[in-house]
Amino acid sequence: MSTAAGSRQLGDRAGRTTAAAPPARRRAGGAQRRAPWLLMAPFLLLFLLTFIAPVLYAVGQSFTRVTRAGLFGQEGTTSGFAGLENYSRALSDGGFLASVGRVLLFGVVQVTVMIVVATVLALLLESASAKWPGFFRTAYFLPYGIPGVIATILWSFLYVPGISPVLGLLGAVGVDLDPLAPSTVLWSIANIVTWAYTGYNMLIIVAQLKSIPKELYEAARVDGAGPLRIATSLQLPLVRPALVLATVFSIIGTLQLFAEPQVLQSVAPAVSNDYTPNLAAYNSAFNYNDYGVASAQAVLIALAAFVLSAVFLGLTNRGRR
Amino acid sequence: MSATTTAPQQGAPQAPRQDRAPSSSEGARRRRGTTVLVTAVLAVVTAYFLLPVYWVVVAATKSTQDLFGTNGFWFSSSPQLLSNLSAVFTYDGGIFVRWLLNSLLYAGLGAVLATYFAAAAGYALAKYEFRGRGLVQALVLGGVLVPGTATALPLFLLFSQMGLANTYWGVLVPSLVSPFGVFLCQVYARATVPDSMVEAARLDGAGELRIFHVFALRALAPALVTVLLFQVVGIWNNYFLPLVMLADQQLYPVTLGLTAWRSQVDRLPEFYQLTTAGVLVSVIPLAVAMLVLQRFWRGGLTEGAVKD
Amino acid sequence: MPDTWTPARGRPATPPPPSRRQLLRAAGAGLAGLGALGATAACGTPGTAPATTRPLPAAPAGEVVRLQYWAWLKDLQQVCDVWNAKNPGVQVEAVWIPGGNSGGYQKIFSALAAGSGPDIAQIEVRTLPSYLLQNGLADLGQYGFEDVIGSYDAGLASQVRLDGKLWGVPQDSGPIGFFYRPESLDAVGAQPPATWEEWLEVARAVHANDPGHWIDSFNAGDPTTFISIATQAGATWFRPEGEEWVIDMTDDATTAVARLFDTALDEGLLNTALPPFSVGWFAAAGNGAIASLVSGSWADALIEGTTGGEGQWRVAPVPTWASDPALSSAVGSSYLGGSTAAITSTCPYPREALAFATWMTTDPEGIDAMIRYSGIGWSPASDYIGAARQEPSAFFSDQPYNTEVFQPAAQQQRTDWTWSPVTLQAINIVADAFRARLTGGYRTCLDALAAAQPQVVAAHRDKGLAVRAAS
Repeated sequence: MSTAAGSRQLGDRAGRTTAAAPPARRRAGGAQRRAPWLLMAPFLLLFLLTFIAPVLYAVGQSFTRVTRAGLFGQEGTTSGFAGLENYSRALSDGGFLASVGRVLLFGVVQVTVMIVVATVLALLLESASAKWPGFFRTAYFLPYGIPGVIATILWSFLYVPGISPVLGLLGAVGVDLDPLAPSTVLWSIANIVTWAYTGYNMLIIVAQLKSIPKELYEAARVDGAGPLRIATSLQLPLVRPALVLATVFSIIGTLQLFAEPQVLQSVAPAVSNDYTPNLAAYNSAFNYNDYGVASAQAVLIALAAFVLSAVFLGLTNRGRR
Repeated sequence: MSATTTAPQQGAPQAPRQDRAPSSSEGARRRRGTTVLVTAVLAVVTAYFLLPVYWVVVAATKSTQDLFGTNGFWFSSSPQLLSNLSAVFTYDGGIFVRWLLNSLLYAGLGAVLATYFAAAAGYALAKYEFRGRGLVQALVLGGVLVPGTATALPLFLLFSQMGLANTYWGVLVPSLVSPFGVFLCQVYARATVPDSMVEAARLDGAGELRIFHVFALRALAPALVTVLLFQVVGIWNNYFLPLVMLADQQLYPVTLGLTAWRSQVDRLPEFYQLTTAGVLVSVIPLAVAMLVLQRFWRGGLTEGAVKD
Repeated sequence: MPDTWTPARGRPATPPPPSRRQLLRAAGAGLAGLGALGATAACGTPGTAPATTRPLPAAPAGEVVRLQYWAWLKDLQQVCDVWNAKNPGVQVEAVWIPGGNSGGYQKIFSALAAGSGPDIAQIEVRTLPSYLLQNGLADLGQYGFEDVIGSYDAGLASQVRLDGKLWGVPQDSGPIGFFYRPESLDAVGAQPPATWEEWLEVARAVHANDPGHWIDSFNAGDPTTFISIATQAGATWFRPEGEEWVIDMTDDATTAVARLFDTALDEGLLNTALPPFSVGWFAAAGNGAIASLVSGSWADALIEGTTGGEGQWRVAPVPTWASDPALSSAVGSSYLGGSTAAITSTCPYPREALAFATWMTTDPEGIDAMIRYSGIGWSPASDYIGAARQEPSAFFSDQPYNTEVFQPAAQQQRTDWTWSPVTLQAINIVADAFRARLTGGYRTCLDALAAAQPQVVAAHRDKGLAVRAAS
């Protein structure tokens, strides 16, 4: 796509000259060689500073250990190479492993439920039997506009008996629910996440649904297919790419669950300091001041997300081909 | 007797019609029955999605006593919305307003600049051949796939060594980087900025940077809006980074500020009122913006989905 | 990098999977980057830079010194305003942070790591060594604090002395006492127990009288009460020996305490479902299901929150170990909790900060303001308990319990207990172990402690400290 050879300029400000003179062509190429780097410079520099450098720093810290002389380190501290010690400590920490298991369970259940609900809603909205689809679509999309933290604060009020009208209603019919108990708090968090993102996922599926060509529907109708048959045999397979993508990124998102449990901590003592992997890393860094282990945990989380993403993307694209 | 259909949007194909024997009354009853059922289901689901928003509107009008005393679904006998709102805006010297402005700064300025940088980088990757292009693309891909929360902690440690932690820069600088934006812009640039246009501009004597700013940006404009919105939402939603980076309440975005208020309800009951009214203030404009800009999401999503 | 990706539910446009060449390039870049690891790692871990050892000078005359005090006390600014009015040259601003273990310590640690942060911070006595470990504290002896330390409670003063130096200004404490409902004890014809053996007898009587009644609750999630009673019995879990820490969590004193609680738990004498001051606990204490509470003096304010509790409570000295002659180092009472106003190593005006902190904690005006506005625990000054506390209390059945119970208790404290630099972790480890004991993982509290001890030792070693187990 190189256009350097094709330029035929006569002394413009950029200094390009006729194509006939070889030194001039090199100069022409020069300005065009510089241009992409110039254009990318702000992004690259900032990327280096805010992404590459911290990643390297984290990896470096994860291989560092601190030795302290004296009872409180007052005789001096030395940093040294730790080998895989921090990683083994991170991976042998029961709390951290439990948190990983917890988010995996959360991911499997919550994402499945959310995607299923989003798909069903999308199909219903796009079916012939739906009145006022625009209104419903808007209503379902609304929660996406509320930041996760604010949504958690909102729901945290709805989970407190005494304030929550929902709990009051349930209590009136004899259902005694404590959403913040150790056995239920994970699903209360799942509820918040589902509430916030179902509408968004639904929109994605709706967008894909709308791109199904009319002819396919007509062909199906000619074949005598009813709405349910159309949904399962025609629409679902065609929205599969959107479904898979939404699922993949939702699962990766749950790996990084932090804001919802952390905000809920102030009202739910059942949410421990290492409830999710990110919370555990935050706790290691700022409660225990174990920066080596915290960095190891951050690296492990990043690696897991990276591997999951790459694997699923590979699977998706291969499947499409 | 015809079943209702969804209005076609942006030329998308219509939903399938149920044209069986139109004159059959049984068919019509079945269709009406289905419509009623479907609508009922959708209405119940709507109640679930709108419940917290409705609740916060009601709750923001109550005093703390009434919050606990009266039914959560309806207003109290002495609504005090205005006094709650004024408390929100004047508490602690108007710190809530400061938080709102901070959020605007981080999300607004950050997203605008991030979009600009991403457009430049994406355009460069799409339209130029140069050594190292593959490496940069790989790096961008890595940036897209690695979660931001994994880099927030080491970023804080790095910035604290540089003296940038607990400053506006600590949150603003990371917000200027959007690998996903670069990726999106690269895709859009390849599709919407034709080589011929670039060639012609070069022939006319335009410099490379001028080509970008004058021609490419204009062509990329719809895509830029999508990138901008994604980045705004991302920064506005970002909690981990400011939490780790900021200790001074004056620098908080509104998400961090409201969380701080929420955590104080046990020690000072007045924080219940402050928090609910504060949440209302932050939710309403966001919700309105979301509704108005809904079509940009659909537009961006459609293009992205169809592209593949 | 901002959270544009999280939670990224369903980004539609597919980034193509990394091609092999792209992966190789990325790997190559990564390897090259590894070379830079050395440089970045050398940037250093936060908290390892040694604090300045030379004392900082006083502020130049005429300059107004502004200090920030981060604490979770309520209405602290009112206390600061009392000082501010009389000291225009030193103005103190109170900034509220969540309670230490609820996020406050995280804020202070991360602010210190960033090199900014408060001038004065509320740090509990048990967490002070952790801050010293991170070089977060200023050496107060350099600023004349040695001359003032004598006016503080001996027990508290001993706990702010680490490695021979003084690192924080004692702010409040909590000598423990026995809060009880006379009605519940009268129902079984019992007197407030004088020793722990008698306490066990009373517990049996209360529970036998009504299986829905308990003498107290056992909160596995918060072992600090257990540790407090072990301190009273003479235990020293964390003993500094030269440059080494010696961890001993299963000595005779701790064993005696563990045996006491094991007996009570095995016989079902303690409620394990209601942690003190939880919503359920208030209800149970209000209707007599919980007969008493061993807690710090600051619990009086919380007990006053029980509905209908007016006139239903009294305070007695905490049971002692006098009946167990083997415990030779046992003392009459112990502390539960206690905070310091610590002057941080990042404070540019430690002299001025120390002057304020000393006023707040030894001057009667300061102490009265703290009690009145912030509701602090027991006064740290050895000679003044606060005007408000010298009167009998209507809630506690007109008993002048402060002068009667807590003032003597404050005089009967250990002066050789040290907290560890990894106290927070140690407490969490013990809490996990106690929780397992309740659910059957360990048969006795002693087993739980024996299992926790190697983990506590490991926690020290992971911090790079020299440590060994006592046995």
